[in-house]
Formats: sequence, C-alpha cells, structure tokens
Amino acid sequence: MSFDVPDDRGYMESHEWASEDGGTARVGISDFAQDELGDIVFVEFPDEGAEIAHDEQLGVVESIKAVSDLYSPVTGTVTATNDELLDAPELLNDDPYGEGWLVEVDLADESGLDELLSADEYRDQIE
Amino acid sequence: MSDTGRGSPFAPHTDAETAAMLDAIGVESEEELFDIPEEVRFDGEFGIAPRSEREIRREVQLHLDRDDDLTAFLGRGHYDHYVPSMVDHLADRSEFLSSYTQYQPEVAQGFLQALFEYQSMLVELTGLEIANCSMYDAASALGEAATLALRARSVDGTRVLIPELLADGRRAVLENYLAGTEATIERYPMEDGNADREALADALDDDCAMVYAENPTVRGTIEEGLSEIGELADEHGALFCLGTDGIALSLLEEPASVGADVVVGDAALGLGASGGLGLGLFATHEDFLRQVPGRLVGVGEDSDGNRAYTLTLQTREQHIRRERATSNICTNQAWVALRAAMHAAWLGADGLVGLAEDCVTNARDLADRLDDVDGVEAPAHDRHHFREFAVRTDRPAEDAREALENEGFAVHAIDDDLLQFCVTETNAGEIEDLVAAVEVVA
Repeated sequence: MSFDVPDDRGYMESHEWASEDGGTARVGISDFAQDELGDIVFVEFPDEGAEIAHDEQLGVVESIKAVSDLYSPVTGTVTATNDELLDAPELLNDDPYGEGWLVEVDLADESGLDELLSADEYRDQIE
Repeated sequence: MSDTGRGSPFAPHTDAETAAMLDAIGVESEEELFDIPEEVRFDGEFGIAPRSEREIRREVQLHLDRDDDLTAFLGRGHYDHYVPSMVDHLADRSEFLSSYTQYQPEVAQGFLQALFEYQSMLVELTGLEIANCSMYDAASALGEAATLALRARSVDGTRVLIPELLADGRRAVLENYLAGTEATIERYPMEDGNADREALADALDDDCAMVYAENPTVRGTIEEGLSEIGELADEHGALFCLGTDGIALSLLEEPASVGADVVVGDAALGLGASGGLGLGLFATHEDFLRQVPGRLVGVGEDSDGNRAYTLTLQTREQHIRRERATSNICTNQAWVALRAAMHAAWLGADGLVGLAEDCVTNARDLADRLDDVDGVEAPAHDRHHFREFAVRTDRPAEDAREALENEGFAVHAIDDDLLQFCVTETNAGEIEDLVAAVEVVA
C-alpha cells in the first residue's frame, strides 16, 4: 500500500507535517498516520494564542484503536485552529493534508522548519 | 518476614526462592529494594498482646456497647436514611459483592446494566447529559470538578470560589487536589447561611475557573437564587459546580435549569450512616465528556444486534492514558453505586419525592418545637431548611452539646454559639425525647 506524501511540505518522524506560506505554517498529520490510527474519534489541539515549540507536545488524537500524542513540527504562536475537527474528527482520515489540518502557526525565528524531513526522506521512513 | 520458612505468609515464595531472586538481581536483602527514609521507619513494639478470638470479641463488644447509648441527630454531609432490607438482600449476592471493576463486559452485563441505570438516574435527577458511575465521595468529586474546570477548553481562569461555610473535609480535599496546580482557592461570604450573592458578584472576574455552591448548604439551608449564581459564573466564563445529594435532588431545583455545569455531592442513598464511607456523585454536560474523571458505562450493541453494556471512553483513564489521564482515579464505588441505584429504584420517583418532602417537614417541625424552649432559637438562620438546621442557645454551644450527650443525644456544636441538628426518618421518632432533653439542658 502506498501513502500520499505531498512534496510541498516537511514531515516529522512522528508523522506530523507542516507547510509554510510566508511566515505562517499549517500543521497536520500524514496520510500514513491517519491510516495507522484507524477511525479517528477525537482530536485535541491548543487554543489560539498558545505558544508551541518544535518537537514538543501539540495535542492528542484518539482513534478507535489508540490514543496518540501529537508533536509540533514548528515553533511559534497558534493563530488559527480547525474547530471543524471537534465535531467532525473524521476529516483527519478523509483529507489529512487538506480539510483535516489542525492549527495554523505564526512562525518564530527559529521555526524548526530546517529540522523537518523532506517528502522523499519521509517516504523512505514509512516504506 | 515470618519464621515459617516460607518468607511472607502472603507471598508464595520460600526463603530459598527469595534468596535466589535477590542473588539474581544482586542485592543482599529485600529491604534494599525499597528506599524508606529512616525517620518514618518503625522499630518499636506494637504492644498488642496475643489473645484468643473469644477474648477479642468480648473486648470489642464492650467498646461497641459503650457507643450504643447515644441517639444521633448528626448530619453535615453524612445522613442516616433508612435503607430497605431489599438492598442488603440483593447487593449481598456474591456476584455483586465479590466482583471488581467490570473490565470484562462479556461476564459483567448484569453489574454494568445496574451501573448504567445508576448513571441514568443521576442524569434524570440533575438534568445534565452525562454522569459517571461514581467517585469516592462528595469531597473527591468536588476536587475532580475543579480540575475539570482547569482542563476545559472553554475556561481560562484559575480562581476557584467556594462558600465560606463548607464542610472542613470537602475544603481540605479540594485544597489537596489543587495543590501544585496554578489554581487558587478563595472563599466568598455567606449571608445567614446562604451565599451572599452581591459579595459573590464582586468576587467574580474573568480569572475565575469555577464557582462552587451547595444546595442544601452545610448548615442545611436551602440556597436561593441559584440561577443568579449560574448566570454570574457564565458571564465570567467560569463553570458553575453545584453540590447536592441524591435525595435533595428529588425535590429542589434541577441543577441543569439553574445553569449548573457540574453536579457533585454524596448519594445519601443505599448506605445509611456509614461512619464516613460515601458515594460521590458526578454529572456534567456532554461538552466535557472527554474531561470526565472516573468510570463511564455505555450501552451499545453486540455483533448479533443485542443491547450490550461496557465501560466506555477508557482512553481518558490512567490505565491507558498514563500521566495524561483526566484523573488519577481509575476506579469507582461500584458496589455502593449499585446500592444507591437499588435504593432509588425501590423508592421510585414518588417515594424519593416523599422522602425529600419529609426532610423539609421533619426539620421544620423539630425547629418549631425547639424554638418554643426558653433560651433556644431554632432555626438560627431565617431560611428554608432541608434535614438539618443551626440552633442558637443561651449556653455556649460546646457546653450545651456536652450536656445533651449526657442526656443521650449526639448533636453538632459548629461554633461558639451554634448547635446543629439533623433529622431523618430514622430518628424522627425520637424528637419528643430530644426536645425534652433540650428543655433540661437549655
């Protein structure tokens, strides 16, 4: 089985992604992660205004199989949260790179983007 | 260690096996496995002389006989309601009495169904959408309500406001729960036994996480203006936690309709005067489903489409979520909850309401009788009461309490000037004698 790994973003070994656009990044989980988790029933992420840091806990995602901690791919301030997920956590399964995004982050100077895996590197990891 | 040659009498190891295990991990003695500070080690003698079973029974009976003399009119959180014998008869069945937490739904359908019924009753009594299948007692439920408020996404504040008049045990447990968190506990003033709502409004700000009020209060007064307290809390983004009990809930305002976000309290059903053992109620809004502490029983369907009960949402709990669990309570008072549910079911809706009405009329009757005694003012607070009420006497309260004890009655002395009397169906028949005793000592 092959998983979707878009080239336009960076990845964590722990399966989160970040895509940057002019100092702001969107954060989510990968196609591989949603598939491993199975049906996602609940997701928890920080409030708007929260300070988050690369590789530190970002939230929790719960599926019918497991509860997993999410780690932040980037460092900065949360400027938007995808509140749709509170009522429709299945968006994480259906569209992990689109409608299933988690938070938007105003990146700090040391944003952590350099630490992320490229799409190729991440593909190697999950193969 | 015993000298039986088998090590501890409670562990299935011989001395030789213990020695082999110690040798394998490279320590000299079992003591080395534990780091017990010197200052807490006990190296004295217990001073317990060996006696035969018959001698011990006789001595224990002597102590018990000494206790039996007093007729109790005690309350303040622990109430002696009559528990129908049916409850003992059914709850003492071994399949209920011997079972632990119902982790294995395929063998525990009966117990799970009973706990689901308990939750459903609490949902019906509170008007809130979800109830767990119990906490240890009212105090631990209050502590859990406060930590829920701190976790809730909709709440920003850290101040927890509690009534000035609150049972010491509840306050102490709450303080313990919040020690080490960012929360601070502050007391708001009371006015003649009830919340001083103006003072509460002044104390509230956007840094409040939770406002706690009780109905009835620890003084037995029926709280007024609960909706106003609920609105005040809501305006400032704080949760409104209401403390009550299973019988009061049958008659007093429905918590959901006065804006309560969390209901805690003691069941007051199924146990009688237990000498401390309680059953913590915990109900809340569905918004906080993932933040609820403790056990939840849910209903679903098995693969054949039959209704099936199971513990649910266990991902909140510490056996799965470890240090990020919603609570470090990962169990419940299953058997006591079962008894409370049986008691409530036996009484039925009409029976519960009747019992609650007696709590109002018995207290009113006793207060009226006492108020007629010279040197006695009852109730001391100009309020409606439930089960219990404060009494002012010309004598210092502790003095009066002691004199009443000598007359064979146990009551509370709650400060220098006030006594507190609690009446339920189990001591209502002793009212005449109590009033006569008060006439003697007042």
